[in-house]
Amino acid sequence: MDILIPNNWLREFLKTDATNGEIAKYLSLSGPSVEKIIKNSFSEVYSIEVTTNRMDTASVYGIAREASAILPRFGKKAKLASIKLTNNFTFSNKVDYLSAQVDPKLCPRFTSVLIKNVKFGKSSQVVRERLSACGIRPINNIVDISNYIMLELGQPVHTFDYDKIKGSSMVLRESKKGEKITTLDDKEFILPGGDIVIEDGKGRLIDLCGIMGGGLSAIDEYTQNVLLFIQNYDPIHIRKTSMTLAQRSMAASLFEKGIDPELVKTAILKATKMFEELTGGIPEKEVLDIYPNPIKEKAVSLDFEKITKKLGIEISRKDITEILTLLGFSPSWIKNQLKVSVPSFRSDDVIIPEDVVEEIARIYGYHNFPSRIMSGVIPDKPADSPFDFEEIIKNLLKGYGGAEVYTFSLVSKANTDKDSLKLANPLGTDSEYLRTSLMHSLSEAVKQNASEKEAFHLFEIANVYIPKNGKLPDEKMTLAGMFANTDYRQAKGVIEALLEELNIKAVLVQEELKGFLPGQRIEIKVGDKVIGQFGNLEEGNYTYYEFGIAEMKSYSDSHKKYVPIPSNPPQIEDLTFNFPVKTKIGDVINLISSKDKTIEKVELKDIFNDAYTFRIWYQDKNRTLTNKEVESVRKEIVKTVKAKFGGTYKD
Amino acid sequence: MQEEILTLKNQVLAQIMSSKDVIELEQIRIDYFGRSGKLTSLMKKIREVPSDQRGQIGQTINEVKLTIEELISNKKNSFKENAREWFDPTIPGVKPKMGHLHLLTQAIREISSVFEKIGFVRERYPEVEWDYYAFGALNFPKNHPARDDWETFFVDQPENPKLGPMLLTPHTSSGQIREMERTKPPIRMINIAKCYRRQSDVSHTQMFHQFEGLVIDTDISIVNLKGTLDYFAENFFGKGRVARIRPYHFQFTEPSFEVDISCGICKGKGCKLCKEGWLEIGGAGMVHPNVLKNGGVDPNKYSGFAFGWGVERALMMKSGLNIPDLRMLYSTDLRFLTQF
Repeated sequence: MDILIPNNWLREFLKTDATNGEIAKYLSLSGPSVEKIIKNSFSEVYSIEVTTNRMDTASVYGIAREASAILPRFGKKAKLASIKLTNNFTFSNKVDYLSAQVDPKLCPRFTSVLIKNVKFGKSSQVVRERLSACGIRPINNIVDISNYIMLELGQPVHTFDYDKIKGSSMVLRESKKGEKITTLDDKEFILPGGDIVIEDGKGRLIDLCGIMGGGLSAIDEYTQNVLLFIQNYDPIHIRKTSMTLAQRSMAASLFEKGIDPELVKTAILKATKMFEELTGGIPEKEVLDIYPNPIKEKAVSLDFEKITKKLGIEISRKDITEILTLLGFSPSWIKNQLKVSVPSFRSDDVIIPEDVVEEIARIYGYHNFPSRIMSGVIPDKPADSPFDFEEIIKNLLKGYGGAEVYTFSLVSKANTDKDSLKLANPLGTDSEYLRTSLMHSLSEAVKQNASEKEAFHLFEIANVYIPKNGKLPDEKMTLAGMFANTDYRQAKGVIEALLEELNIKAVLVQEELKGFLPGQRIEIKVGDKVIGQFGNLEEGNYTYYEFGIAEMKSYSDSHKKYVPIPSNPPQIEDLTFNFPVKTKIGDVINLISSKDKTIEKVELKDIFNDAYTFRIWYQDKNRTLTNKEVESVRKEIVKTVKAKFGGTYKD
Repeated sequence: MQEEILTLKNQVLAQIMSSKDVIELEQIRIDYFGRSGKLTSLMKKIREVPSDQRGQIGQTINEVKLTIEELISNKKNSFKENAREWFDPTIPGVKPKMGHLHLLTQAIREISSVFEKIGFVRERYPEVEWDYYAFGALNFPKNHPARDDWETFFVDQPENPKLGPMLLTPHTSSGQIREMERTKPPIRMINIAKCYRRQSDVSHTQMFHQFEGLVIDTDISIVNLKGTLDYFAENFFGKGRVARIRPYHFQFTEPSFEVDISCGICKGKGCKLCKEGWLEIGGAGMVHPNVLKNGGVDPNKYSGFAFGWGVERALMMKSGLNIPDLRMLYSTDLRFLTQF
């Protein structure tokens, strides 16, 4: 949470010789982070980020208290001035002017006091300027007091027009689903249920607690008697209401992190004093204070060795005592054992020994710690690590001209299978499902480049999520890619080169599948196992491929074997055949390759109209083949190609 | 005939002498010796010559042929020696088709290599996880805001009775407990993975990448965390860069820190690009004893530190890319992809 703290307001509580810049710098190093100092006509203002565990610092006084502990370590004088309060009141759980029935689980501490004969008007110059410096518009003395207390102490304050509370009675309870309330700003809310509300003696809802007051009991210029109202609430209830109704405010932010019940009392005393001064109102002598379970003082124990071990350096006992005392803790030592009593404003935050270690370390100053990489045993690398393999694939595809993309794993319903996992709370319909294939994502990626007329190839390695009943999905790392404006043979060549480079002995088998053009899809198999697919898509003029990384890896033999280089040269010749239409050249090559053991290799060399030229390597490991031997094999080839495919040999 | 031959010879000689380059010489050779060249045609006519003169004429033609060939060859050599064949070195090359690795891949590669050098092992854990690993075991209280529907994506699946709802990991920290379950200390783990949070604006994408480091051993202290952070700052961002830690708050570490890297432009003095000489990179902390316990590690014997930062953020900080909208990193526009 970001807060604004005007410098001159801060210095009302913080007596120090540190400059504004020093305050900002040292706070950031050892406490809440000062993001910047803003110059304002009234004062310099610190913009400070307060962490959720330290809502005790989300106020002018809280920052002053924190700074008074931090600055002395940097050689600056610093003293915290206390809040001047005179307590002429009695605090009682029953008063004449209000009967209140409160659920302590919803509201641990409930305080209220009636202030009579208030004069509605403008606040003092100082109050107005301070509010403005914090970015809050001054409205009237009554509203301004509430805001002033919240900014100074971090305690939200509410006020009712006392005379609008029917029967002078209140019931603080959980709302029922569907109950309606109109708030101060004239908005009507239909409550989701389980919100903290107050109903008056006539059963009317007069407050949506912690979020916004009700319109029925709102202060206006005719208000004479004000019921000052200061509480803390169960943080969970407040957050739920605030998020569900989308009503975010500083008060809600404070309440939903939890407020020190002791602060409730400080705030009501200070607010009453301000009412007397700014409105001329006269408070009742009895303050209603329903606080059935006062918080108990907590203590944390730890030993000196543990502190030293966690820190990695030794900070002396004297320094530890001094640091903790500055922060408001009460430390005491019995031999090596340290017992630390925790002040109420830190009781939600400092619970275990490590919390105390943190306090010591940060005030001592993290910048004063040395820096040293750990020694010790280095863990073993798991044998089946996939990362290097994925890297190799990416590098190869880049080398073959591919451009890598990262697309979102969350896709629309149209872009997924029917059994894909669905999100319970998606941000929109375009990102509602976990994808089970990369195909649609890549299709969209290609379409985004529709204006590109040159050939291109996009690829991605990412998980797809295959549902498994009652279990986490199978996260299947998948390689997929898409070619656009690309000749089929060029695209296929990339896949063939990839398989060859990864030393995967795969066969490519034509198989049909929905989504691909009929007869234009190939399965990539090792033995019976399908490791990937490749083909032309039904939609768009694209060629798509997809592989399971794990499958590829299991069949990729990274150890290439040495084959002795034959001492005799091969005989190489080109044979050209004319084929009838619809001849599958892959089958022709397979046939030729298997025709004779002397045929080492067959490649398609050239295509001209219906004439296909194959280059054939004849080789015998042990001797040079004679022209006669080659001729007889060639004759066999010509004969079979003619018989099986009707291909005629062009001499 | 004899005369015709000699005339031809003289013509050729003159042409050869005055020729200026190899191309011209080649043309001369074709004009006279080509299939329908002048000398070739003349040779074809030799049959018409009376038989008693054929020997003489034949000899003359051969002599002339040899002379001319020699002359052409000499002339050619003289060109090579003096003014070699004209050549244009400024003509553009024909490039192979160039591919592109995504910026994120490049960043992930660098990050893992920096940590692998000091013994970190890269691991991968589920992206779709149970609440227990993402929150519960990491010491998040039951009603912590991060566990709300507003911040974390939940999967529409039945809850696991022990491990809670199924969700998309909002941080790489979910890997901490998984790693402690996978192996026993000493642990030096780096986890770089996709994460998901329910937000989308110029500085947030609902899917993003984090890298998480986890070190657990006996006697791991704040000093070791600082050492590791400084090592990373110098080896990832560049020589002379250092890290600093400031107090912060996370559920699963105690103490918790915000980590800054010294600005590479102003070297820590303060400039327009940084905050008083420092740039925020992310969070870190000493592993909370409850987290160690939940991972089956004895917090009295072992201690550890962890950090988890955005890959996108580290990338932007390092490269000074100046991408105005983080969502652009997930663009599939070739005009973007081919820049890197």
